[in-house]
Amino acid sequence: MMAKVMRIRELPIFVALLLLLLLTGILNPAFRTGDGLTAILIESALIGFLAVGQSNLIIMRHIDLSVSSTAGLVSFLVGSYSMNHGGVTGGVAILIAIGVGATVGIVNGALVAYLGLPSLVVTIATLYIVRGIFNYLAAGITVTADQLPPYFSWIGSGEILGIPDLFVFAALAAAIMTLVLRYTRWGRDLYSIGSNPQAARRVGIPVPHREFAAFVLNGSIAGIAGLMLLSRFSFADATAGLGIELYVVAACVIGGVAIAGGVGTPAGALIGAVLLQTIAFALGALGVSQFWQQAVAGALLVAAIAFDRIVAMRSTRHATRLVEVPV
Amino acid sequence: MTSITKKVMAVAAGAAVIVGLAVAPATAAPKSGLKIAIIPKAINNGYFTAWNKGAQKACKEIKATCKYIGPTQATGPAQVAFINQAIQQGYNAIVLSAADQNALAPTLKKAKAKGICVVTSDADVADTKTRTVAVLPASSDRIGAAEVDWIAQEIGGKGKVAILSAAATAANQNAWIEAMKKQLAAKYPNISLAGVYYGDDDATKSAQQYNQILTEHPDIAGIISPTTVGILAAAQEKKSKGSKVAITGLGLPSQMKDYVLDGTISKFGLWNPIDLGYVGTYAAAECASGNLKQATGTKLKAGTKTYVEGPNGVIYLGDPFTFTKGNIVTFAKIY
Amino acid sequence: MKSGGFRLGWDKGIILLLVLLILFGGMSNELFLAGDNINFIIGDVSEVMLIAFPMALLIIVKEIDLSVASNLTLSSAVIGIAWHGTGSMWIAVIAGLLTGSLCGLVNGLLVTRLGLSSLAVTIGTLALYRGLCYVLLGDTPVADYPTEWTDLGYQPIPGTFLPWVVVPMVIAALAFWYVLHGTRLGRWLFAIGQGDEAAVFSGIPLKRVKLSLFVLTGFMCGLAGLAYTIRFASSSPDGALGFELLVIAAVLFGGVAIAGGVGTIWGVVAAVLIWGFSRSYLQLAGWDANALVIVSGLLLLVSVAVPRILSKIRESLAHRTSRPSSRGGVTPPPGGATEPLSPAVAGQDQGSHRG
Repeated sequence: MMAKVMRIRELPIFVALLLLLLLTGILNPAFRTGDGLTAILIESALIGFLAVGQSNLIIMRHIDLSVSSTAGLVSFLVGSYSMNHGGVTGGVAILIAIGVGATVGIVNGALVAYLGLPSLVVTIATLYIVRGIFNYLAAGITVTADQLPPYFSWIGSGEILGIPDLFVFAALAAAIMTLVLRYTRWGRDLYSIGSNPQAARRVGIPVPHREFAAFVLNGSIAGIAGLMLLSRFSFADATAGLGIELYVVAACVIGGVAIAGGVGTPAGALIGAVLLQTIAFALGALGVSQFWQQAVAGALLVAAIAFDRIVAMRSTRHATRLVEVPV
Repeated sequence: MTSITKKVMAVAAGAAVIVGLAVAPATAAPKSGLKIAIIPKAINNGYFTAWNKGAQKACKEIKATCKYIGPTQATGPAQVAFINQAIQQGYNAIVLSAADQNALAPTLKKAKAKGICVVTSDADVADTKTRTVAVLPASSDRIGAAEVDWIAQEIGGKGKVAILSAAATAANQNAWIEAMKKQLAAKYPNISLAGVYYGDDDATKSAQQYNQILTEHPDIAGIISPTTVGILAAAQEKKSKGSKVAITGLGLPSQMKDYVLDGTISKFGLWNPIDLGYVGTYAAAECASGNLKQATGTKLKAGTKTYVEGPNGVIYLGDPFTFTKGNIVTFAKIY
Repeated sequence: MKSGGFRLGWDKGIILLLVLLILFGGMSNELFLAGDNINFIIGDVSEVMLIAFPMALLIIVKEIDLSVASNLTLSSAVIGIAWHGTGSMWIAVIAGLLTGSLCGLVNGLLVTRLGLSSLAVTIGTLALYRGLCYVLLGDTPVADYPTEWTDLGYQPIPGTFLPWVVVPMVIAALAFWYVLHGTRLGRWLFAIGQGDEAAVFSGIPLKRVKLSLFVLTGFMCGLAGLAYTIRFASSSPDGALGFELLVIAAVLFGGVAIAGGVGTIWGVVAAVLIWGFSRSYLQLAGWDANALVIVSGLLLLVSVAVPRILSKIRESLAHRTSRPSSRGGVTPPPGGATEPLSPAVAGQDQGSHRG
């Protein structure tokens, strides 16, 4: 029954996505060649992956706006390491990514979970601080393809069974995270905390520890996203990753992870990211003027949020009932 | 002094003046010890790091103190704070690459009122009275026409092309795009323009727009990207997707080297930002020394070269360089 | 009210900090307090301050509005279109103010009538309003405003060094201060912030109040849009990028708790001025733009961390002097359920996002 509830939540978004793809394919024959779909999947891989980590936090009624700065910083650090050392092994790259990402996550997590500071404030602050450090280190330096080991762009443009590598990676992450949230104690605790933090505490859930862990995880995810940035563009400079944090939140919300907390899945967030990307693409493919695209996208976003609200109100009642039963 | 000595001195002085007028360089050497603010659109951008290199070189030669200050975001409002800083700290002159052609006008007027010389270099402002001279690479017409010629060569003079630009509001971009349309209409009736796409000088968005172009126009023959971020993103995408589109535009040789060497791009161009910074700083110093005003025909000597001012105080450095396999490696080492 | 008293403490502390900053800055750098520089600083922070006032009220009632920067830019765009269309700046100004209020109204209706989370909705309207700027202006900014208007942007009020924009800023500060701290409406706002349900039961028209706040925010965005247009003598679709985070950061730094129910107008004024003055001081001292960004982030962190740490210290002191905690092994949660009187220091939630 729980599975049914979860599925109901993501279904409308998934259907909307299919419909939109269908519509675009009908109206623009060029789209049908599959290149369009591939492009959408690659673009949504980065935001979708970030949305996987972000959804854990939003489920608990938190938020992390510093992810764009962290991802940008990691992409630059790995890139300049490669530039200065004539290359970088996969191991070192992952080490830097998780090291830096987790550090930011630890700072955010400690301030929010243990000091009790509001996550919106803390992560806006760390967004500025990390971005400032990043700009300072990257000032005027550009890392280009010839300074990176070839496997980066190889991963960035490679495909598995016709689906871009990066998207497969994001999809796997989303699937694993969704299962973890559904079937582990740790995961279910997140939903409890999001639905009713006071009750969760009284039932004995170690709320601060869960929150802290989710922030550290999200930070590490942001770090790995930095590697994805690097492999996607083989290029890093001070503008890397700028401004994507609100898209990540939007992807989560569209994907059914309500800001109110307690509902939604990382899989839904990934679908939300793909849907956002598809809208952007479809508008162009349907011949909407460049100058109208952002306005239309914004209007659709508002509509999606309103729609999501209605679905959330129905699901919340289900989810809360389930979650309050001690396991 | 005896009257004869006075007469001799007068004649000698007169002769010196006559000789001086005939032989004098365009502008006298600038005063030394000037304080000049070098303000780019954004300080973290590699293109402007090169621009500043030229400025600092000039500063050393004329013994001025030059400070490189600017915002992290390339917007007019962000630049205003740094222009104000230059005003408050009593700089003699400002060399500015304007991030916004309109928003800086009130602040520049303030600077002028305080007697600070303002020179734009690389990107100009709309109100030409708010700055003394502008040092620009080449006229928009020539830059736009050159890019169209490059793409036409590659696609054999016929087919569909698209333009991958930066921000929709970027004045120099729009000027170049107009020039491109003119050139297409004038010389290439068999090439049609599919559309103009905006990548906002953002790598992600530019790559996205590249894919958008290919999706909307699968038969596209060429893409012109008059922005270093755009051409790099397009080259990257072309390589990873193995597309058959011809790409050209304006790019930094150091960033594009690989793509030229492996054949992804065969020809593109750019001027040298180092020169822009260098000449701009000389212009600023000369203005601050009282030697340079906005007047058509004035000659500006910067280092070893002399430039002539055109209408509205615009000084062109010359046509952009064309980069091909033959010279890319050399230029990639410079900028 | 314990927390209110503490927040008033933060509020006074911040004013003291501002005074110290001005004194220290003035003594260590003679350029800092030059009339011309102060003129610039006040102009520089004017839009942020104008919007910070209604944003403070919104956050007090546990809502938020992320679309303010887009609203400002859209109002500026409408001013441009109206100026071109009618040739009258006065009509253009009214059009701009109406636009701002209308955008605020839309936000408010979506939140109060549809019950949507203001954080989520205003992310959507942020994109929508910004997009409309491009629809209106395309790639041609409006830059031919009459000089009598644009001169107001940087010429000081005769006889002083203050810019003209200081007039609406002072009027707004006084008006908002009066409403928040001296009227029944103000008390309602605090009541709503400290407990929605209780407020409704005591007869406060919750939805109408929140709707008015959103419209008011929109109006102030329109006013800020006018100030922005004059200051930069132009309207462009890519103006005021990232402003919304600046405004929110300033409001939070000024002692308005994100959890709602607490805050003062003077704290907000002091916070915005500290931000403006400290940036100017650091700039004049030679710090580069990247350092300034880091400092903004640190200031923000300090603004929430310090009161929190102080209250924790007070808590542990209180526990030491009274009976040991009878809560068994469970540590009291950081300001959550057990401190209903001080939602200010609770801060667990983002405030506005109850179901």
